Order: sequence, then C-alpha cells, then structure tokens
Amino acid sequence: MLAVSPLRSERNAENKGEMESFSIISSEEFPDFGDGNLLESIDFDDLFVGFDEGDVLPDLEMDSEILVELPANKSDVEESSDMNTSVEKTDEDGNQRRDEEEEDKVSGSSSSSSKEEEILSKREETNAVDKRSSKHGVKGRKSSAKEKNNKQEKRKTKKVDWTPELHRRFVQAVEQLGVDKAVPSRILELMGIDCLTRHNIASHLQKYRSHRKNLLAREAEAASWSHRRQMYGGTAQAGGGKRDINPWVAVAPTMGFPPVSPMHHHHHHFKPLHVWGHPTMDQSRMHLWPKHPGHTPSPPPPQPQSTWGPPPANLSFWHHHHKRVSNGVTPGTPCFPQPMAPTRFGAAPVPGIPPHHHGTGGQPGPHPLVDCHPSKESIDAALGDVLSKPWLPLPLGLKPPSTDSVLGELQRQGVPNIPPSCASSP
Amino acid sequence: MGDSSTSYIHMVQHLIEKCLIFNMTKEECMEALSKHANIKPVITSTVWNELEKENKEFFEAYAQSQSKQDRMSEEETSQMIQKMISDSSNKDPSE
Repeated sequence: MLAVSPLRSERNAENKGEMESFSIISSEEFPDFGDGNLLESIDFDDLFVGFDEGDVLPDLEMDSEILVELPANKSDVEESSDMNTSVEKTDEDGNQRRDEEEEDKVSGSSSSSSKEEEILSKREETNAVDKRSSKHGVKGRKSSAKEKNNKQEKRKTKKVDWTPELHRRFVQAVEQLGVDKAVPSRILELMGIDCLTRHNIASHLQKYRSHRKNLLAREAEAASWSHRRQMYGGTAQAGGGKRDINPWVAVAPTMGFPPVSPMHHHHHHFKPLHVWGHPTMDQSRMHLWPKHPGHTPSPPPPQPQSTWGPPPANLSFWHHHHKRVSNGVTPGTPCFPQPMAPTRFGAAPVPGIPPHHHGTGGQPGPHPLVDCHPSKESIDAALGDVLSKPWLPLPLGLKPPSTDSVLGELQRQGVPNIPPSCASSP
Repeated sequence: MGDSSTSYIHMVQHLIEKCLIFNMTKEECMEALSKHANIKPVITSTVWNELEKENKEFFEAYAQSQSKQDRMSEEETSQMIQKMISDSSNKDPSE
C-alpha cells in the first residue's frame, strides 16, 4: 500500500493526460506492467476514469452543468466518481487541488457542502463518509483520482477574480435580497454577469458571510473601545478608588467562557481557509501573549461585550495558557486569541488603568490611559485583513484622492511608480 | 499601469482607514503600514496627505480628538467637563 501512494502522487503530478509519463512512472514502480497497456492491465480503471473514457481535456473549463452530467459517464466508478465530481465542484478555490491529505479533503468537502445547494450536498456526505471509511485503505487511490480529475478536466467552475467592482455588485445584490436570504441563483440573476456561475457566487457568499461576522464584531469592539476610553477619561476623577473595581466588575460578569470545543473544530476547518485570517490572527496573537508579562492583569481588559465570549474573566486560566503557549499555534488554544482580536484594541487603553491604580493613584495614569497604542497584533490583523480581501468596503469610506494627484505627489517625492517593484525593508 | 496604481492607492487608503479606527497618528500609521504591509512610509504619508485634502473636516476633527488625547489627562478632562457644565449653567440665565 505504501508503494501505491507515491505512485499516485507522481501520477497526479504528471497527470495531464500523458499516458507516456504514466507508463514511465508505472514501469519504475511496477515493472510488471507494460507500457501503454498499463491502464487496461491494472485495476486502476476507477482511478484513471478520465483516460478510459478519453476525457482528457487539460485546457477545457467545463461548466457546472457538464459537471452534473459526469456522474452518468462515470457510472462504472462507484465512490471515486462521486467524490471526483463533487470535489471538482469544490475545486473552485484551488484548495482541493493541492491537498492530498484525507483530512483536508474531508474538511474541504464538508465546508464546500454547505456551499453547494442541490445534489452535491448529498454526494458530499457520501463522499466524506466514504473517504473517512476508506481513509487508510485507499488513501492514495482517492487522492490520485481526485487529483487526476482535477488536473485533467481543470476546474469545473471558472476561478473568479473578485475585483472590487465585481464584489460591489455582489454586495449590492446580496443586500437587496437580504444577507441571510441571499440565494446564489438570485444573486446571479441580480448581478447579471455571464461569467459567473452559481458556484462561484455560492462560495463567495459563504466567505462574505463569515467575514461580515468577523468584521462587525471587531468594529463594534473598536467603536465601543473609543467610546469607553473617553468615558474613562471623563469619569476617572469621579470614579476614584472605584476604578479599580469597576472595569473588572464590569468585565467579569459579562465575559463568559467561550465554548472551547466548537472552536477547536472551527480551527481545524479553518486551516485551509487561512486566507480569511482566523489562523493568522490566532498565531499572531498567540505569539504576543508571552510578550506582555507586564500586562498580565490587563490582557483580559474590560470588555463590554464579548460577541465571541472570550475567556478573559479567568485570569489564572490565561496565565496558565500564557505560559504553556510558547509559540502557541496549537489548535486547542487559539480560540482565545482569536476572540481577543477586538479586545486587543481595548487592551491598549486599559493597561493604563491598572498601573494607574497601582501606582501613585493619579499622576502617571493619564498618559497610559489616553496615549493608547493599539496592540501590534490587532493592527496586524486589521491590516492583514485588508491585504487579503481587497474587495472589502472601506471602513470609513473617506473620499478617495484622485490617482493623478497622488501619483504626481509621489513622483515629486521620488517614487516613480506604485506598487513599488521592491518592497521596503522590514 | 493606471489601474494597478489606482487599486494600490485604494489599498493604501483602506489600510490607513483601518489605522484611523485605531486612532493612530500619521507617523504611527506610516510605521504600521511599513511593518505589516510593506508599504513605503513615503507612500503612506502621501496618500494620507491626499486623503486629508479630500476629507478636511474629518481630519480636522480627528486631529482635535488626537490632541485632546495627548494633552488631556483624566483629571483635565473631568475638569473641562465640570467647567463646561458650570459655563452652561452660567449662560442659562442670560438666555
């Protein structure tokens, strides 16, 4: 079996429809088989189903309708065909292509099944089950079949380049229908763009929805933090000694412990979706925990609302994790840092409070309080968000300057063109 | 060329706006964008300046709130509030 896997990988890598390459590889691995008769002589029919049917279309990008027809063609192949077709559909994002691991495929399928509306959802489940059950036995087989079909028939659904303009129309359509009610087919109608398929829209919609939740939560935190900061500034005097208690009291009851287990799963699933920033946020946040020893009381700062339900209430818990997580990328713990994203912003102003209290009781405090520097990881997260999702709407919606005036100004400063060919030194 | 420049400027504007949400100063913004997004500080500052020209009111208000944060302590803020209250109560009879 072990010998099978590398063969599969190799096959997959070169599986562009070249029978020769196959025979070359196979002859190395399986000298028993002849050159061109490999496919016929060995029981790989279900793997190289495309070949058998002469379905070698390396450059053809088939529409989803054709994809639906495929199962009929591959009726002789039981699970593999189902898996292949469904995987084809999920291949939009190119994730599947790269992943030969069962887990990733499974998670990819699971995540994509929610995208798919109709038939595929059933197929997905079957496939997922099949995959899991046949994981060890036919690991290579499934991978290779999937890979082969992916490369052979390319993507069933065209990869869409979601430009800001396109995305704007998408958002318009979605908002017209109502975010929760927005159905890809209706969105497609509203957008009226030929090049888009339902699948493109479906996958984009899923991303959009999950991003919105993120964004709204974070910006709500940011907004409430600015407000809070001003509040603290104004009431500081009046609060007096109570300041010590107030933030914490306000915080503790409102903060519940996040449900850890769902987050665990989320993180497993988010692995392939790292582009959405969850794992990266986690990692960046996790890295910084150890760097704030002085802020140990403050990392779980007064958090007025926790949409994510972070665990800051339990400070000792934090310390524990804080020590345990040295470079902290374990899937188990990230659920805390991630929800802390919004809090991190708040962490900046708040650290001023405890030292303020513990200190002389008034003098040094104000500066840390009002001179708040947002934490690096929350900035990083926010900026990373912009970089990875360029089609996002502007948070403030400031009137953009004219390109010409910016370019003109830059040229005066000695910057000939942007984006610069060489990145600035880190 | 034009298009990519425009979208690049758009991206820089987006990044700056994110920094504004964090109440960062122009310098902080330049540093952050350089560090996290590899954007040359000169570009950040140019786009910032241009944005300021287009959105004068916003940036004026922003600068004010920034300077208030820098200068005013909690005590000063509460004193200011108390003063404002007493001022308004002083004004009332005349109105």
